[in-house]
Amino acid sequence: MGFLVTTLIFVVIGVIACLCTRICCNRGPSTNLFHLTLVITATVCCWMMWAIVYLAQMNPLIVPILSEGE
Amino acid sequence: MADNGGCCPPMDLFRSEPMHLVQLILPVDSAHLAVAYLGDLALIQFKDLNSDKSPFQRTYATQIKRCGEMARKLRFFRDQMLKAGMTPITRSASEGDLDVDSLEAKLGELEAELIELNANSNKLQRGYSELVEFKLVLQKAGEFFQSALSSAEARQREIGSAQAREESLETPLLEEQEMGTDQSKQVKLGFISGLVPKAKSLSFERILFRATRGNVYLKQAVVEHPVTDPVSGEKVEKNVFAVFFSGEKAKNKILKICEAFGANRYSFSEDISKQAQMITEVSGRITELKTTIDIGSLQRDNLLKTIGEDYERWNILVRREKSIYHTLNMLSIDVTKKCLVAEGWSPIFATKQIQDALQRATLDSNSQVGGIFRVLHTKESPPTYFKTNKFTSSFQEIVDAYGIAKYQEANPGVYTIVTFPFLFAVMFGDWGHGICLLLATLYFLVMEKKFSSKKLGDIMEMTFGGRYVILMMSLFSIYTGLIYNEFFSVPFELFSPSAYGCRDPSCGDSTTMGLIKVRDTYPFGVDPAWHGTRSELPYLNSLKMKMSILLGVAQMNLGIILSFFNAKFFGSAVNIWFQFIPQIIFLNSLFGYLSVLIIIKWITGSKADLYHVMIYMFLGPTDDLGENQLFSGQKTTQLVLLLLAFVSVPWMLLPKPFILKAQHNVRQNGQSYIPLQDTDESLQVETAHDPHAHAEFEFSEVFVHQLIHTIEFVLGAVSNTASYLRLWALSLAHSELSSVFYEKVLLLAWGYNNIFILIIGAIVFICATVGVLLVMETLSAFLHALRLHWVEFQNKFYEGDGYKFYPFSFALVSEEEE
Repeated sequence: MGFLVTTLIFVVIGVIACLCTRICCNRGPSTNLFHLTLVITATVCCWMMWAIVYLAQMNPLIVPILSEGE
Repeated sequence: MADNGGCCPPMDLFRSEPMHLVQLILPVDSAHLAVAYLGDLALIQFKDLNSDKSPFQRTYATQIKRCGEMARKLRFFRDQMLKAGMTPITRSASEGDLDVDSLEAKLGELEAELIELNANSNKLQRGYSELVEFKLVLQKAGEFFQSALSSAEARQREIGSAQAREESLETPLLEEQEMGTDQSKQVKLGFISGLVPKAKSLSFERILFRATRGNVYLKQAVVEHPVTDPVSGEKVEKNVFAVFFSGEKAKNKILKICEAFGANRYSFSEDISKQAQMITEVSGRITELKTTIDIGSLQRDNLLKTIGEDYERWNILVRREKSIYHTLNMLSIDVTKKCLVAEGWSPIFATKQIQDALQRATLDSNSQVGGIFRVLHTKESPPTYFKTNKFTSSFQEIVDAYGIAKYQEANPGVYTIVTFPFLFAVMFGDWGHGICLLLATLYFLVMEKKFSSKKLGDIMEMTFGGRYVILMMSLFSIYTGLIYNEFFSVPFELFSPSAYGCRDPSCGDSTTMGLIKVRDTYPFGVDPAWHGTRSELPYLNSLKMKMSILLGVAQMNLGIILSFFNAKFFGSAVNIWFQFIPQIIFLNSLFGYLSVLIIIKWITGSKADLYHVMIYMFLGPTDDLGENQLFSGQKTTQLVLLLLAFVSVPWMLLPKPFILKAQHNVRQNGQSYIPLQDTDESLQVETAHDPHAHAEFEFSEVFVHQLIHTIEFVLGAVSNTASYLRLWALSLAHSELSSVFYEKVLLLAWGYNNIFILIIGAIVFICATVGVLLVMETLSAFLHALRLHWVEFQNKFYEGDGYKFYPFSFALVSEEEE
């Protein structure tokens, strides 16, 4: 699974979550916008965290060196 | 005020509710009811229009005094009930028709009755304890006489047989004395008997001895059970004493000493037969008194019980009355004394409800004239009111603890709901610990109904109040724990096999050269192969440090973008062009560029030294980059970015004060009309607070303010970015601690192959995990996340100089009193 595929998965999950909140708790435009903001922020945060860790491991400059004991 | 961009509806919680200052004119006869209805509504904050008057000069001072008196009576009842071991029944009493005047009369009656009952029972109790003491003295001192008599008889027999002398047995103790001392002196001895507290008995004896120069004879007997002291009503350990003395002088001295020691004296006859008679007499009286006391206390208990049934209802009513009169005292009274004028802040959406309440009050009090509702226009800044629910309120409190938002400014609380638990979780990434936290908070959520009505301890109350914050924190820590691939510091190959493998089948150089990447990158989170390797720490440190920078730059950019929304909302073009734009350029040309370099380095796998790049970007921007070149045209890009950063500093500093001055001059001269969106908000607020300040414009002050602001931002860009490194430090500390507990405690204990050691090891592991990781680490990660939000995020846009909306509300009144 490449970077783009997983990113797409994040996008899809984000969209689904947005739709869920929209359908489950539809309480007027102001509240819906508020929920949308929360879901988007959360998705972006989670995606950033994952993307950073994934990118950092794509081309590792150092590799795992096992300890002597093992 | 302009609305939020126009394209979308205003977002909940993003801006505080629009408020207006309203004036209510209430006829005197319906004012009380109207205020009561408004208190139920809890959507208006009354202004004190009589702040120059002392509490005694106000219109309804007497009524408040009456309420205070009633509250005092209720407190008295409460104390009495607590003393009697009863608790007021907290049932939701039916709101029966209860008039304040009749309540006042009733409370007065009840109080008088209770006081009388108390006085009676005190009197009886005192008599009762006196009798009990008297009985004790009779018994114990009687024993002295008895034993003295028998010993005297025995001696007499001896003496009688030897000397054949007849002696009276009437004064046996006298005889004993005589035998002991001098036979020739025959004086009539008197005696005093009573009870003295055991603690004082030794010194009592000593003082008696000294005062009479040894010419007394004291006998004491310990009373086994503590006795109720008639005066204080407390249980005290006491001794029965009998002092024998001779002479009137000695008697006076002894009486004084008794007085000083709080010794209760009881006199009785020396005659033994009379003593026995007295004992039966006293016993009879004691039983009599006892039944009387029992009847009295039963009566008292019944009275308290009836009070207890209505106590809560009365208490609420009195509090309500008191708060209503307090509010009425804040209204100014008309010259004709026919109506009261109220001013207060209320949210615009509540207009209809307030008008309804006024109408109902008019109808219900049969008033001829209705209350008048009017909106006033003012330049004063309204209070800040966020409509929060039980989920958002605890996050809003995190923001409010720093400072209440200025009226209608962008509320960081919206983003805090996500970013706060997220940053917490970056420092607390372990999905095992996250699940523990989740279970704890789920317990709170399940017990929510039960806990919210109960009074909890300080720490419990705080944890319970923040249960939704903790819920979010635990969910995010489970997520970040999966990313860090740590479950109590143990990694799992959950998503695919590790990307790393041996270089050759023998795996010989895995401890020297290391493994090699043989598969695709591990798809989700940190590769489990890193765990326990020698290169784990350098690798994770570099990863987490860079992650902290990236997250920090992202959050700071969000903060600056929010300042753009603020400027746009308040229609301040100056703030957009001369604050927002240079700020975002400055931050991104330095640290945004650093973030881009980090990402490029990861993608290309370049070995460039980023420290070197950043440092020489300043020291030698024209130098050749050499092997630190990450992309073509890097030198030019860096030169441009450096130039932009240098330009943006004076851009932030210089134009704004001059433009403000020009705007002020134009307004002052009144030569031309200035549309609202061109005026600066900060200036507007300043003038709103004090209309007289309008005339003055201290250019130097404005300039210095801008200078400070600019320096703060420029230096802050560096220090705040560095400050985000705490994310790395805390997360490192967390994972190291948990791996120490796992390896040095649990695995070590496992290695002994002994069930006892294993159990002890497991207990130590659990205690350390709960105590250090789940409690202490949660606290420290919470505090660091708090700081990152308060300082690094909010100083980009948040003024926080508003004041909170405190509506007049009965619900709040009763909470405060608790």
